[in-house]
Amino acid sequence: MSSNDLSLPAPRRDLRVLFGVALAAAACIAPLFLGNYGLHALIIALIFLLPAHGLNLLVGYTGLLSLAQAAFFGIGAYTSGLMAVRFGTPFYLNFLAAGLLAGAVALPLGIPALRLRATSFVMCTLGFVIIGQAIAKNWIGLTRGDMGLSGIPKPYFALGPASFTVSGTVSFYYLVLAIAVIATVAVYLIVRSAAGRNMIAIRENETLAESVGIPTWRYKLVVFMISAAFAGLGGSIYAHYLTVVSPLTFQMYYSTTMLIIVLGGGAGTISGVVFGSLLFVGLSEALRIAPEVRMIAYGLCLLALVFWFPKGFAPLMDRFWSFLKERK
Amino acid sequence: MTGLPILEISGLHKAYGAVCAVDNVSLHVDRGEICGLIGPNGSGKSTFFDCATGLTRPNAGTVKLDGQDITGWSLNRIAREGRMLRSFQKTVVFGALDVEENLVIAGQMFTFPGLWSTFGIGAAARDRVVALRERARELIKIAGLWEVRHQPAGKLSGGQQKLIQFASMLMPEPKLILLDEPMAGINPKLIERVVESIRLANEKFGVSFLVIEHNIDVVTDICERIVVLDQGRKLAEGTPDEIVHNQAVREAYLGG
Amino acid sequence: MLTMIAEQIVNGIVSGSVYAIVAVGMTMIFGVLRAINFAHGEYYMLGTFGAWFAIEYLELPYPVAIVIGVAATAVIAVVVGQFVMQRIVGAPPETGVLATLGIALVLQNTVILVFGGGYKFFSGGYIEPVSIFGFTLAEQRVLIIIVCMLVFVGLELMVTYSRFGKAMRAVSQNIECCAVVGIDVPQVALRTFILGACLAALSGVLTAPVNVSVYGGMGEIITFKTLPVIIMGGLGNVRGTFFAAMILGIAESLVATYVGLQFRDTVGFATLMLVLMWRPHGLFSMQARF
Repeated sequence: MSSNDLSLPAPRRDLRVLFGVALAAAACIAPLFLGNYGLHALIIALIFLLPAHGLNLLVGYTGLLSLAQAAFFGIGAYTSGLMAVRFGTPFYLNFLAAGLLAGAVALPLGIPALRLRATSFVMCTLGFVIIGQAIAKNWIGLTRGDMGLSGIPKPYFALGPASFTVSGTVSFYYLVLAIAVIATVAVYLIVRSAAGRNMIAIRENETLAESVGIPTWRYKLVVFMISAAFAGLGGSIYAHYLTVVSPLTFQMYYSTTMLIIVLGGGAGTISGVVFGSLLFVGLSEALRIAPEVRMIAYGLCLLALVFWFPKGFAPLMDRFWSFLKERK
Repeated sequence: MTGLPILEISGLHKAYGAVCAVDNVSLHVDRGEICGLIGPNGSGKSTFFDCATGLTRPNAGTVKLDGQDITGWSLNRIAREGRMLRSFQKTVVFGALDVEENLVIAGQMFTFPGLWSTFGIGAAARDRVVALRERARELIKIAGLWEVRHQPAGKLSGGQQKLIQFASMLMPEPKLILLDEPMAGINPKLIERVVESIRLANEKFGVSFLVIEHNIDVVTDICERIVVLDQGRKLAEGTPDEIVHNQAVREAYLGG
Repeated sequence: MLTMIAEQIVNGIVSGSVYAIVAVGMTMIFGVLRAINFAHGEYYMLGTFGAWFAIEYLELPYPVAIVIGVAATAVIAVVVGQFVMQRIVGAPPETGVLATLGIALVLQNTVILVFGGGYKFFSGGYIEPVSIFGFTLAEQRVLIIIVCMLVFVGLELMVTYSRFGKAMRAVSQNIECCAVVGIDVPQVALRTFILGACLAALSGVLTAPVNVSVYGGMGEIITFKTLPVIIMGGLGNVRGTFFAAMILGIAESLVATYVGLQFRDTVGFATLMLVLMWRPHGLFSMQARF
């Protein structure tokens, strides 16, 4: 006895691929339509997408609320900036080092932090951001304190004798776009793997997950580190884009923004996070909304999310995908 | 009744402050046996399970699984390496996932060699998942959940969730399953199906069982041997016949 | 040398009093609503702004400004309490975190939007120095210590003898039984919240003459300093919070003088982090105890 999903009266068209291609095309030719400011908004949105993906793995898939993304974002930004300024290393090295260092720092921080209960864990993650800022402000020998690092060079790539510097907004856009696409694919692969399923299991019922052999504590630690690495990578691009890094990179503001992207876009979905970044960050940048107004909007969003829309835009996205899949 | 018992627990002791939940209890389960654990409410049966499966740390005692000392092992290690699984009194499933996914997850850590391998995207990982899905579908058919297999487990009835829970435990080919009141809250019509499933698993797959249960009819029906706990202590042990006629047991249940 | 240290300790007691008044409100809110109020510092800020507004624009004397500051905060607290805080009772911990974070964002940025982000000068208060036990302090600082004592004595009496106090203790100990016994849990939650917010506002108004500068973002630092105090004092533990606040105040003062001013604001959270990572059960009892 088996049910045949294909026994339908009329053939349905799967428009998902078409949509994907259209989206890719739009992304590639965006510079033709958007002015420099529009591109800037997109770049910022794509930069924030990386730490948001990381946070999504932590919050959306494993069920761990964390405010620490800003801390690892800052670590990544400083690592990349310092390497570029002090050693003149090419971008890809700074980029990778930022991600690796952020992920590595997450290990000794995560081990004691993950023993805590939910509320204490959240506070501990907040503490990472606060302590991170304090270190950035006071370790003047390394970070130049409040003055920060400036003059971080634009990313450059060297292949033998040929070298290429990403100097204009347009080329930076393509660089970030490529990185964002790779990151999204990477997260998609993680989520579809057996590990991704185990993460969801931990989120749904931790004890039950344990009882089927899942080492929940180790998974939480690994996801915490992966999430931190993503934040670090995002921080690296941020540093090279702004060309300055300061202790202000370690601010609750960034953690909150990433939280809005994930929760508002749809925690536990990949398309939701992409959409969330474009909507909450890209749009607010493009419309040049004043920072205070933006934060008020974020605050109201958080309240709306908590009480009325716990899944954010996810249900809408689900319906959109189903619509595309079956063309009803 | 081959030599070495599959589960051997000696001197298990768990006290919460002045209250002694499990008082120096020893029992064993023979290979291929279905053993029952009964006792009035509050006699320490669930705490006993919690200690044996690593959910709680006992104050004293040893637990040996198939000859190996697993005392102090964590819940997930006992499941994964020891292949001793347990069910929970309150039926739990991974609510947001569908039935098939629930079963696939239940089998994953037993086919993947370690945490890092679960992140794999290569052919090996895919093959493992394909095999898991096939096995899951078999079990879903046996459990009679085929029609609902793509529904989120959280939306199914209590009885269906119990079947999911039971099928989950058969995914990895376990050595021993500890059932915590499997008949609780089940529609009487489904009781027969659960009993059949236990027998099937025992006879066809060779799984040993230790079952906590209040339904005396079921216990006397499927268990070859019964252990009785009262106020944390082992009161009696024997065949269903012996237990039913045991004076002390009758008093514990009826008196006090 | 000794007088120097003694002076720092007295300064520390003053800061400690400020923290204590703010923290006791936050810990009571946790005890009853089981929610960490991430917006708590904003009520401190609102009280300060209310008083500043009264002095700058309404040209009212300082004592009246105190009342206005607290009253304005109370009004806002009623609204927030009715629409948000009451819904947090009984919800999972994430709800409280996210909701209060949202409130903090809204309150903080609305004030910045309305009044501008710059620093404002607070001109009221009793800043004349007075001599007590050989120490010379601004009168305002003495006032802070006195008010702190009064607040704690008052709370102790209220919690032990008043009907509301008993209801608070009941809700914090066993929320399910309260409905059975006839306690209106949402009302108790609302009133506890308003009380806590008003205490924070009072602390802000009293401290404004000493700190002098008033700005929209000032609440955030207060929240960050109060969190360690309530955790280490024991969530829901009024007496423990008092001692933790005093210890923080004195520690900050000593660190500022002998280690470096730039480290003063980090003492609280750094200590909290150490405690959380090495002794997750805090220094005092964690059981909700009034």
